[in-house]
Amino acid sequence: MKARKKDYIIGICFLLPALALIICFIVYPVIDAAFLSFHSWKGIFGQPKNWVGLDNYTGVLTSKLFWNSMLNSFWFIVGSFLVLMPLSFALALLITSKLKFTRFMKTAFFMPVILGTTTVALMWTYILNPEWGAVAQLLQWLGLDHLVMDWLSKPTINVWCVVLVNEWMYAGYNMLIFAAGLVAIPQDLYEASVIDGCNGWQKIRYITLPLCKNSFKIFSVLAVTGCLKVFDIVWAMTRGGPVNSSSTPAILLYTQAFQYKLFGRSSAYSIILLVFGVVLSLVMNRVFRQENDLYS
Amino acid sequence: MKKKTVHGIVYFLAFLWCAITILPLLITFISSFKNNNEIYLGLFRLPSIWRASNYAHAVETANALTAVGNSLFMAVATTICVTIIGMMASYILSRKNLFFIKPLNIFFMIGVMVPVHCTLVPISNIASSLHAKDHYWFLLLVYTTFNLAQAIFLYTGFMNGIDRGLDEAAIIDGCGDIKLLTKVLMPICKPIIATEAIFVFIYGYSELIFSLTLISSDVKYTVSRAMLNFTGNHTIDLGAQFAFVIMAMIPTIIIYLLFHEKVEAGMLSGAVKG
Repeated sequence: MKARKKDYIIGICFLLPALALIICFIVYPVIDAAFLSFHSWKGIFGQPKNWVGLDNYTGVLTSKLFWNSMLNSFWFIVGSFLVLMPLSFALALLITSKLKFTRFMKTAFFMPVILGTTTVALMWTYILNPEWGAVAQLLQWLGLDHLVMDWLSKPTINVWCVVLVNEWMYAGYNMLIFAAGLVAIPQDLYEASVIDGCNGWQKIRYITLPLCKNSFKIFSVLAVTGCLKVFDIVWAMTRGGPVNSSSTPAILLYTQAFQYKLFGRSSAYSIILLVFGVVLSLVMNRVFRQENDLYS
Repeated sequence: MKKKTVHGIVYFLAFLWCAITILPLLITFISSFKNNNEIYLGLFRLPSIWRASNYAHAVETANALTAVGNSLFMAVATTICVTIIGMMASYILSRKNLFFIKPLNIFFMIGVMVPVHCTLVPISNIASSLHAKDHYWFLLLVYTTFNLAQAIFLYTGFMNGIDRGLDEAAIIDGCGDIKLLTKVLMPICKPIIATEAIFVFIYGYSELIFSLTLISSDVKYTVSRAMLNFTGNHTIDLGAQFAFVIMAMIPTIIIYLLFHEKVEAGMLSGAVKG
């Protein structure tokens, strides 16, 4: 069908709100952040923004703070692949199986995502309280008193606590991503495999896993790109502390700007975050596309 | 016999994870009726009297109800804006054959990739220069934008899967563009709209970093902000803090219980695609 003049008018009218919003609140801010990242500015309007060249970038890239925050982001990725992936895949197998109560389980397992990050974070902060929290009590009851400590203020342990709470929250969400892949597998494949003499484990290994590759792809892309965006859950549980030990790049970006008034430095964080984000997305897409070519 | 033990183990693990999921909620709920001494004694015990006064306390000192109301308003408004603006854009992207559609598709794809936090400082500057700090309309625009790219991506994907023969039949029957979108395509897109809507709703309800920078007066705090403020300043009264957490959960849990069948169905049909 040839496009008519009316189509153009309607097209532009319908696209305009979305375009205008994205240009105003994503494209322009990104350009502005890039501009600010080459300047030093205290965040006071009317004050000059001084050109400092690449100082902000060298400052960020040589600071321990930044690399520690990247390491913390990396722990989030590790947690995703070591804890979240097996867990949510197992849950997905469970709710798509022929067991009883799967409807109830599906609803219950998915619940944590619904609660909102801050709520979940605060709830777990109380549960992890070393004096009266549920985890401490449970450990004492099991006779493991020496394991009780102030988990959220010990470096590295606090990051892992946040990572695990994050996995607790998103297990149900990723369960449904895997379940979407599982329900798409035709049942006759399993029937054929039984005739060929497959046992339960072999069915999973040779049919379920290969045919769920697309779900694993979605999971990996979300996990890797999501790790740079972590803010809420860390902020609510530890505020990035103590002494920035549990900060993520997004938290540093916030504190540098709004607590230390280093807006140029913070913008350098923004741009580095942006570059990492886009590069990671592209790399993930490339990795999986090549794999698809290999197998098809 | 062997099969039975395997089944037993699977059931055990399933209910173990159920317990791990539900126990934290239960503990928080029980604790919201206790006073400090009872909380110090242990989180698993039931309170001696069920104190509803904790809730009254949270409402009085932390403006809990106002905060929940503010957040609900933001969540509903964001969901409506994202759905309408997103559907309008997706309709053109999937149905019209104009020369700028292809580059625009790529443009929106890039929009999905940008980590939104990196716009924080410039957006706060825009707000200051427009005198829009502390105003909901600005926060609403920001929230809407951050969910748009993703929504458009999902809606367009779904609409591309709808048979175009349907459009042609509707056009022959005299449907204009607006009627075609609202009366024919929107109803078919319901599963994807419901799935995306609930995630946008939760985003709008519990978003933290932008409400932290853009909202400053405490009567306008959203739930996340008000809760953090309350736990930071009033560490003395723990019961009230638990009560606030429970109050913050109630709206989302109600929404979820109303719509969970649709959301699960939408997710299971593969709504989320990297």
